[in-house]
Amino acid sequence: MRPRWRKVFSDLWGNKLRSLLVIASITIGLFAVGMITSMYVILTEDMRASYASVNPANITISTIGFDDDLLDRIRKVEGVAQADGIRQVVLQVQNGSGEWIPVEVNAIRDLENMEINQVHPEQGQWPPDERQVVVDGYKFADLEAPVGSTLLFELPSGTRREMPLVGLVHDQTIGASQEGGGYFLAPVQGYVTLDTLPWLEQPELMNRLLVTVDQNQNDLEYIKQVAERVADEVENAGLPVFTSFVRGSEDHPNSTYVEAIASVLFLLGLLVMFLSAFLITNTLSALLGQQVNQIGIMKTIGARRGQIVGIYLLLILVFSMIAFLVAVPLASRVAYLLLEVLGGQINVVLQGYRLVPLAVLLMFFIALLAPQLAGIYPILHGTRVSVVEALSGISAQKPSGKKGWVDTHLQTLRGVSRPMLISLRNTFRRKGRLALTLITLTLAGAIFIATFNVQGSLNKYIARIGKYFLADVNMSLASYERISEIRQTLLEVPGVGDVEAWAFSLGELVMPDGSNGEAVTLLAPPAETRLVDPLVQEGRWIEPGDENAITLNERFREIFPDLQVGDTLTINILGDEVDFQVVGFFQMAGRSSGYLAYTSYEYLAELLGQENKANAYRVTANRPNLTLEEQKALGQRIETHLENQGYSVVETSAGQSLTETTTDGLNILTGFLLIMASLIAVVGSIGLTGTLSMNVLERTREIGIMRSIGANNRTLRNLVMVEGVLIGIISWFLGTLLAFPISILLSNAINFSLFGATVAFTFTPNGIFIWLVTVLILSVLASVLPARNSARLTIREVLAYE
Amino acid sequence: MPLDLSCALIQIQNVSKIFKTQAGDFTALKDINLCFGQGEYVSIIGKSGSGKSTLINMITGIDHPTIGEVRVAEHDVHHMNESQLAEWRGRNLGIVFQFFQLLPMLSILENTILPMDFCNQYPPAERESRARALLDLVGLGVEAEKLPAALSGGQQQLAAIARALANDPPLIVADEPTGNLDSRSAARILDLFDELVVQGKTIIIVTHDSSLAKRTARRVLISDGMLIDENIAHALPMLSHPQMLRLSHLAVARSFQPGATLAKHDNGKVGLFVVAQGHVEAVRHYRSGESELVERLGPGAYFSELELEQDERSTLSFRSAAEESVEALWVSHEAFYHFLGESHAAESALRQAAGERFGHVHRPAQPRKSFWWRR
Repeated sequence: MRPRWRKVFSDLWGNKLRSLLVIASITIGLFAVGMITSMYVILTEDMRASYASVNPANITISTIGFDDDLLDRIRKVEGVAQADGIRQVVLQVQNGSGEWIPVEVNAIRDLENMEINQVHPEQGQWPPDERQVVVDGYKFADLEAPVGSTLLFELPSGTRREMPLVGLVHDQTIGASQEGGGYFLAPVQGYVTLDTLPWLEQPELMNRLLVTVDQNQNDLEYIKQVAERVADEVENAGLPVFTSFVRGSEDHPNSTYVEAIASVLFLLGLLVMFLSAFLITNTLSALLGQQVNQIGIMKTIGARRGQIVGIYLLLILVFSMIAFLVAVPLASRVAYLLLEVLGGQINVVLQGYRLVPLAVLLMFFIALLAPQLAGIYPILHGTRVSVVEALSGISAQKPSGKKGWVDTHLQTLRGVSRPMLISLRNTFRRKGRLALTLITLTLAGAIFIATFNVQGSLNKYIARIGKYFLADVNMSLASYERISEIRQTLLEVPGVGDVEAWAFSLGELVMPDGSNGEAVTLLAPPAETRLVDPLVQEGRWIEPGDENAITLNERFREIFPDLQVGDTLTINILGDEVDFQVVGFFQMAGRSSGYLAYTSYEYLAELLGQENKANAYRVTANRPNLTLEEQKALGQRIETHLENQGYSVVETSAGQSLTETTTDGLNILTGFLLIMASLIAVVGSIGLTGTLSMNVLERTREIGIMRSIGANNRTLRNLVMVEGVLIGIISWFLGTLLAFPISILLSNAINFSLFGATVAFTFTPNGIFIWLVTVLILSVLASVLPARNSARLTIREVLAYE
Repeated sequence: MPLDLSCALIQIQNVSKIFKTQAGDFTALKDINLCFGQGEYVSIIGKSGSGKSTLINMITGIDHPTIGEVRVAEHDVHHMNESQLAEWRGRNLGIVFQFFQLLPMLSILENTILPMDFCNQYPPAERESRARALLDLVGLGVEAEKLPAALSGGQQQLAAIARALANDPPLIVADEPTGNLDSRSAARILDLFDELVVQGKTIIIVTHDSSLAKRTARRVLISDGMLIDENIAHALPMLSHPQMLRLSHLAVARSFQPGATLAKHDNGKVGLFVVAQGHVEAVRHYRSGESELVERLGPGAYFSELELEQDERSTLSFRSAAEESVEALWVSHEAFYHFLGESHAAESALRQAAGERFGHVHRPAQPRKSFWWRR
């Protein structure tokens, strides 16, 4: 091997700590890119594959009870590949804590030979026998009961039945027939045989039609055409179509969240790579600084600048390839580890650990290019040094000895010891290197703090959504009852303050060509309701005296971009096409919510033929600011009292449970943000370690002189530690300032990808204080090794150092 | 002294080097004119801070003059850019440093191969064998695979010399090559230099050690960034460098025809003469009228009016030899006495030297030994 290349490997092996720092700097950037790419590719691939593997329904139509005859008719419709049916009913089940929680029971026609929306058995028995139940793993924990235990169900009539819980399954289609956050909002899912229904006081009829198309299973336009034909057939059979929902076979219900997570992670991954480049530049500058003497020697024995540049570019390449070999398996493994956590939370079945070729390729090219680009300036700068400077160690360009601004002002400080002043001066001695270190740490801190602010803004947005659900208890009855009676009954319950009766219906948009469009949820509170605090974006809210007025959430503009206040919107409600006049638009939860509309109670009740009656009630307590537990308790009392009065309660839920559920879902995202922020913090601390190490090496002679005039180990260690902590504190201060714009950017990016809307900036001081503690710890840790090295140097060593 | 352009290898013309410092401009070299020929063995001597290392950096191209020109082997060194200079250095120059400057992570064999590697001077297949041969030459053949840190200071310097010879350069420049060595190692280094000179290399050594300088054929003295005239330095070694430098500045060049009288007793205010070229005959004239050729003074010898003062029984005169003209440096009487007046030490040294000479001259029947001949 030629000596110049031999020098490359000797440089690499000769100073292991320094080499480790450079390799770590490169690895971290590659790791971030590789991890994120692997996660995104595997998640999207596996999401599609796993969802498609259960043969999910392309069309889901809800109607009233039907039997196999309808299925036979549907199977003959053009474009239909398969058709099946289930009955879905919401019951109440008592959990281990004695609480009654909703359970969505799915009675399946042929459990053993499920064709559509297949479930995957995970534990216990499958399929269940008659009068046995199996539940999905998601929210199984809410039951607080093990497989093999007996669950107590409460039927709409008030009858209670016990059913043994015989197994667990995994159902990837939860939330598939709803928009947005259907999965996260879904209750416990139970699975029973069709012949169990009579025992549960349900007709042995199906109410959900599941259809797969014969081709183009991911072409929504084609699926919609088939859905039209299927809906027509249902109506021809004399059955109403309540809702009709279409979805591609590879379109996982939670794919929206993946896109949101991916966009944010990609942004942060780029940032980590960017920071890594700074770190590489900083570390290579220090490396080249240590090599100045050798560069001078090489120039004296005939090396041209280009040859010397080539030596160090090769050195960087070797570092890069080592980093690549380390980062590939690391990124791949960590990515899959995180996916195993995430997958369970968003209902995705992973297809197995594997290397993602795209990620490996990306990491390879970045390893090839990024460190070279980051290192080219330090190399060109370092090799530009003249021989006389390199060999004498003195710069011939600028006169030294002149006190800078920092030195001059430091002298004015009173009450600060000389050694401490030395630390302060040393911090600012190499301004370029300090700047690079500060950039890394500052950005790390800014993102770290921003993560907390983003979480705050997400929670604020969710709380904003909660303004549409201001009741303490939401209750629904099995049948429409007189509002006055229910109101009077509820007011007897201790703690109840006020009661509102709401009308509720599902409908379908009628498109300009007369076909049925997306499902619409219509909510109709009383005009004087105090339980909705809307965020009206355009027009107005529903007012007393309104008849066919309607306000729409922001989703409607996705279908009708030109829809304006004053226009007419036609909605199919229970088979009748009703014209509404649009009076306003309000902001809700963006693409996480469905198509939601509000109209007046009186008008909708009349349409439903239920004037002065309601089956949905909103209850407020007689004092404000109930906790979630207090709301649940109030709901329990309401349910008990109503049932004691002979009413059949379908469901009661605490007002805050909606926001809590949504918050839990978004915690996944903020968890990832914290992981990335921590990664960035690691980058920053590596940079600080490198900077302090190089500073110590450069001040070797100074340290020797201080030793010769009395500085002991502790003094020397403190010099370095103070310098490290000071840099940390400066970065904390700058990071806090930078966190504001970064928080706004991140918040808007996340909120827009999740909700299709930006939010007002939210500031939470937690992040600032937590980062202060974190950066102080990191600074101390980063200082330990360089401080120890400085104290280890002897006078003889350093004054002979040349 | 005007530059002799017949010095083919190195020509330094009107070179000054000024460093800018916080305390102001510092002139390290002042109007240096110097040349070296092929095959010379030269030492550049000066105290610390005299400018000798700066001077050598002008020759090696490590630094550039502020004013003036440097030509080495017909190349305008300071007109080359860094890359050209590096390549030129690798092929034409071998530099030996006081602190060795070996690359610590390479074995001494690899250090020796490295210049060949950079300059592509030899085919790759030959480089290792050539490097081993060079290490054998310096007595380190067995240590070839060792790292510099595993060798003694002397061995490291020998390795550095082997490296300097890697591309067979015509010129070797050594900056304090023995400054960091014990006397035994230093002697070994100098023996090696002697051998290289015999092989035809041109060697320039920078040193503050005058005993080392005695090993070289030519000595160039530098003091306060200025050259001391070599003939004055040779003729008056008892003076300090600043004193020599003073005389160098006071002296003017004079030419004398063959047989011309330079000085005689009845013209006692003759000042000081230093012979630069040719021969000067010292003739004693006795009161009996007889004359006797006492001594032939060649280049690097001197005489002054102090010698004329000392003799009372006879008189001395100095004339150029009949067969050749004489070039001499002459310090006038006034300047000479002003010089003596500035330094009692110098006056004492010169008077003492004159007194010793006068004692030998009083035995005319005996063979005369040369008191002034320093070669």
